[in-house]
Amino acid sequence: MTAEKANEAPKDQRSFMETLQRSGDLAVVDREVHWDMELGAISRRMTEMDGPAIWFRKITDYPGQSLFVNPISTWRRAAVTLGLPAHARIPEIYEEYIRRESHLIPPVEVKDSACREVVIRGKDVDVCNLATPMIHDGDGGRYIGTWCIVVCKDPDTGWVNWGTYRFMIHNTQYLAGWPFPPSHAGKILQEKYVPRNKPMPIAIVMGADPSSHLAATSSTRIGRDEASLAGGLAGRPIEIIRCLDSDLTFPANAECVLEGEILPDRIAHEGPYAEYPGYRSGEMGAGILMKVNTITHRKNPVLSMDCTGFKDCSSIVTALGGGVAVRRTLERAGVPVTGVYIPSEGAVHLCIVGVSRGGREVTEQVLNALTGRRTYFTKILVVDDDVDIFNLGEVIHAWATRCHSERGTIIKHVEGSAQALTPCYDMEERSRRAGAAAAFDVTWPPSWDRTEIPVKARFDATFPAEVKKKVLDNWKSYGF
Amino acid sequence: MEYESHVKHFKDLQENMLVVLTIRDLTPGKHKYNARVARVQLSRSPEALANWDKLWVLSVVGIQDPQPWGMKIVEELGITIPGKPYSDIYETLAKM
Repeated sequence: MTAEKANEAPKDQRSFMETLQRSGDLAVVDREVHWDMELGAISRRMTEMDGPAIWFRKITDYPGQSLFVNPISTWRRAAVTLGLPAHARIPEIYEEYIRRESHLIPPVEVKDSACREVVIRGKDVDVCNLATPMIHDGDGGRYIGTWCIVVCKDPDTGWVNWGTYRFMIHNTQYLAGWPFPPSHAGKILQEKYVPRNKPMPIAIVMGADPSSHLAATSSTRIGRDEASLAGGLAGRPIEIIRCLDSDLTFPANAECVLEGEILPDRIAHEGPYAEYPGYRSGEMGAGILMKVNTITHRKNPVLSMDCTGFKDCSSIVTALGGGVAVRRTLERAGVPVTGVYIPSEGAVHLCIVGVSRGGREVTEQVLNALTGRRTYFTKILVVDDDVDIFNLGEVIHAWATRCHSERGTIIKHVEGSAQALTPCYDMEERSRRAGAAAAFDVTWPPSWDRTEIPVKARFDATFPAEVKKKVLDNWKSYGF
Repeated sequence: MEYESHVKHFKDLQENMLVVLTIRDLTPGKHKYNARVARVQLSRSPEALANWDKLWVLSVVGIQDPQPWGMKIVEELGITIPGKPYSDIYETLAKM
């Protein structure tokens, strides 16, 4: 438990917004804003300023609909999601996440919910009637799925998967999307539906409680129930409801749901799209196609959006859920890990791993463990546990000074598992999902004698305790 | 009317060629950017630019060619096209 007692996690998106407003982490915009890039430009600038989430209440062409943007793109908002005070420190947020996610709480199914106040089906479906921004100039379309929960199901095991994947409007009844092919949804589609030439039922959920969104973005293993994880993160069961057209289940507190199917034999142009790496990379236009059959939403829905790019929601939620998952992976691999940090400045390409015992062998072990089914991290720093992994200044200092440029760098080529969005990959590498990851041994060699390891020239390391105490006790009297 | 399309290489488009593209309608309003597939004729002749629809072309990373094309829709090919999920849309369009 953290220094301050954790409160209850927000029960739905609207209560989350109220909590954020009270902590100064939500800005409300009442002036009319155009969905065609103006809204995206405002949101992007605010993200880069580490500013609050934004609630746009008046959107051109869409009276009665509003948009909640960048729900968890700062650590403050991640803290509120977990019921912590907004000023909680990053290690405290990790600690609280680990405490909550280790106690799964199964969901409770309900029969009705506010997200069914409006139901549109069949030929009346027109996704363009939902306030969907053209976020960045040059994107391939209007992205409706950015801060969303995408639900699909393994037809053989019955496992219902919640994930967060991008989807854009292609036309009135079609969305084109790009779940990373080795993602859970990508694998289920390619292994279980396409070979049988069957459409895959799918639901795209917007504006659910933040715990459910956090669970959907987590790097959990195949078969783990994200609805139960959401319950664990929330500290109470999440109410789920069944789709109208399939047996998929999703958070009943959602604002809006699109039900449909991924077609096994039809495609459309998807992307490009400026994403979490902070670039629009051009990932070869090889996506999937969803036919939307039903739209349900609350009256006056508050839709949700992640204004993707540098330091977006993906960066924070991956740093949190992904960081914990990486730690577990490393523990299973036998790495003496003491902490993991995926800083948002590294855009899910940089992973910092603290270890109690380092050296090249351990660094290689870390590299191998983090380059399996998916290779998101292209740079991995393995640091001694005397380095505060959450302090980037300390980490860069250690990297620059302790890592031997020749002996301390290990590079591994990957084929088929690389992230096609990684900006430094060329087009040919993207199409093969080929790339590389580099691990840097930022630790003192275990073979070195302790008495010969360089001593940090820092206040806390190079002065006797009595001198430090005297200096600290008299600090103000020096005139500072 | 004005449209836009992302293409793999600007140099693949040539004067008077017929090509299959995903075209997005730029008419202002709620249906702006809706896409469909069409076989089109492209030209940068003064007549085409003055009298045909206008097509703005963007690269695979969304950089716009500052010089538009005149575009004539020769054949509407529908909203979606045949293909397996995750197959390369550019290769599929080129075969149509």
